[in-house]
Amino acid sequence: MATRRHILAGLLATTLPRLGWADAGNPAYLAAAQGAGGGFDLHGLNAAGASLFAIPLPARGHAATAHPTRPEAVAFARRPGIYALVIHCVTGQVQARLTPPAGRQFNGHGCFSQDGAVLYTSEVVAETSEGRIGLWDAARGYARMGEWASGGIGPHDLRRLPGRDVLVVANGGIQTDPDDRTKLNIATMRPNLCYLTPEGAVQDQVELAAEYYQNSIRHLALGPDGAVAFALQWEGDPADPVPLLGLHRMGTSARLCPAPEAEAYAMQGYAGSIAFDASGGLIGLTSPKGGVVQIFGAEGAFIATHSRPDACGIAAADAAGFIVTDGGGTVSHLTDSGFAPLCRGAAAWDNHLVPLAT
Amino acid sequence: MTRTQARALRPHRALTGGLILALALGWAAMARADVPESVQKHILPGYAAFSAATQELAEKAADDCSPAALQPAFHAAFDAWIAVAHLRLGPVEEDGRALAIAFWPDPKGAGARTLARLIADADPVATDPAAFADVSVAGRGLTTLERLLHDPALTGGYACTLTRAVAADLARMAAEVDIGWQGGFAELMLTAGQPGNTRYLTTAEARQALFTQLITGLNFTADQRLGRPLGTFDRPRPERAEARLSGRSLRNVALSLAALESLAVTLHPDSPATIAAFAKARALATALADPVLAGVATPGGRLKVEILQQAIQAVRAAAEAEIGPRLGVSLGFNAADGD
Repeated sequence: MATRRHILAGLLATTLPRLGWADAGNPAYLAAAQGAGGGFDLHGLNAAGASLFAIPLPARGHAATAHPTRPEAVAFARRPGIYALVIHCVTGQVQARLTPPAGRQFNGHGCFSQDGAVLYTSEVVAETSEGRIGLWDAARGYARMGEWASGGIGPHDLRRLPGRDVLVVANGGIQTDPDDRTKLNIATMRPNLCYLTPEGAVQDQVELAAEYYQNSIRHLALGPDGAVAFALQWEGDPADPVPLLGLHRMGTSARLCPAPEAEAYAMQGYAGSIAFDASGGLIGLTSPKGGVVQIFGAEGAFIATHSRPDACGIAAADAAGFIVTDGGGTVSHLTDSGFAPLCRGAAAWDNHLVPLAT
Repeated sequence: MTRTQARALRPHRALTGGLILALALGWAAMARADVPESVQKHILPGYAAFSAATQELAEKAADDCSPAALQPAFHAAFDAWIAVAHLRLGPVEEDGRALAIAFWPDPKGAGARTLARLIADADPVATDPAAFADVSVAGRGLTTLERLLHDPALTGGYACTLTRAVAADLARMAAEVDIGWQGGFAELMLTAGQPGNTRYLTTAEARQALFTQLITGLNFTADQRLGRPLGTFDRPRPERAEARLSGRSLRNVALSLAALESLAVTLHPDSPATIAAFAKARALATALADPVLAGVATPGGRLKVEILQQAIQAVRAAAEAEIGPRLGVSLGFNAADGD
């Protein structure tokens, strides 16, 4: 594959055929990982979980996002991030290295505008953790275009709603030390879910009920018809089994979806990643701390708990169920009947499995 | 041989078939004896003893439900639970069993509330074992039994009926966990990495699962069993100590250290730094002489509990530095990342 990439790199330098995702092997997913030698890579995976390419990263990654048409992936550093790399997935070359402006840090996630012209990145003001959305010009070498307020403290995941340029941002509410991720405001944190217009104005913003102010909204999944599912991380008393799944639609209030009593502790107060299945009828919520994945209906009814050590990355499988990646290096297919291992790739898959829009 | 010992031994015979299968599937070919050693010498005997002790308790309760008659068997069952309470994988995690067996911590007082409701209604669920299994996890198990046997306000005919129901339900869950391990889960651990085992895909996964139990068990004793009553310096919370009503808060700490040391040495016998750290922590627990950790409310008593807590944290550090690398495992890549 290195040879092919080498040849393509040469090709690219001379002639300039318009390359698409097909030229990168049509990956179904992107995922950051640690390799057997201890280094870090961004992988493209096919629908069966096999790695199609692995491109080295300078440090531990977290999430990634894919350009809607060009075979370009943006790999984000683990928080607090000092880099995001725009990687050409055919040639393996780094096309742009994004560095946050002075006093800003990347927070691990980003997404493209509908036409692919703008890359949005979740960022914080390093000293205060005030949230920012960074705007980068994807049409002109990813130059910094400007920034918006994210509408809260410590934004983490952000997504663009399907079919329009409205962003939904998980403002986690947690102020952290700029150097070591120490949490500074657990007693007073106030997470929110914020929707931003194409101009960066707040279109809608919801908070959780007062008793859940320590439930950090961190990751997002988009369902059919504007449904937003959000995954929570509980910063309150670990003996308190709070809901870790929330559902929202713009213009309504947020709804939390508890698991039954006997299942509520299995997640250990921590949801690491979230996804809808391909039908939009199921939501999967992973907990690497609990070593489980919980499945809910699209309306928030609990269905099942499945065990898999250090499971974290999750995305819709192309047929039924979910693809789940774990810290032990396995890619699995999760269905009603439980986990079926698909393949073992990297030494350790990182937090997120990012589907490419098809 | 006592009756309890005889009961404790019985399940081993039933296990033989499973072990032969495990051997056939390649257990003997494994390079290290670590996971099999923990399963055979720590986990299976622990659950067998817990099942036997709860069976004894249920039988005694059926004969005589008075607190005076039952307290010794209650303590024996609680002791047997602490020997395995740190194991949070497999059958004990199904149907909320671990929670129902010992519902603690309980910051919102759900246990007392559920019990008060059952008693106020004289809820007939107590006479129907199948229905009782669906009562809230907060209103069953050792913590509910502790209240029934140690709260002088809880007497009378219904309390007796409830005591019998809780004891029988506890014995049922203990037997299910014991059978669940013998009847399948032990094999899953012992055949990790073998074809067809989708639960533990590699021997490293089984090792990591047990190593994680060791580390989270140490954390639980340091952060919850000691950390909850310690509260903060300005606001100590002695009333939050585990099993305070039955006077076994410190006993649970000491027994948990013994249990975790048993897990550590079966997992990796050659662990001198970890074993030394355990010895130090256990000696501090023995010397504490503060059965319900009431001393946390005084500066001097508090300091002693904090020193014990630090000694347990030092065990964790030693185990992470010594046992983890030698087993080739660490805490989860993502679990430890926290983002």
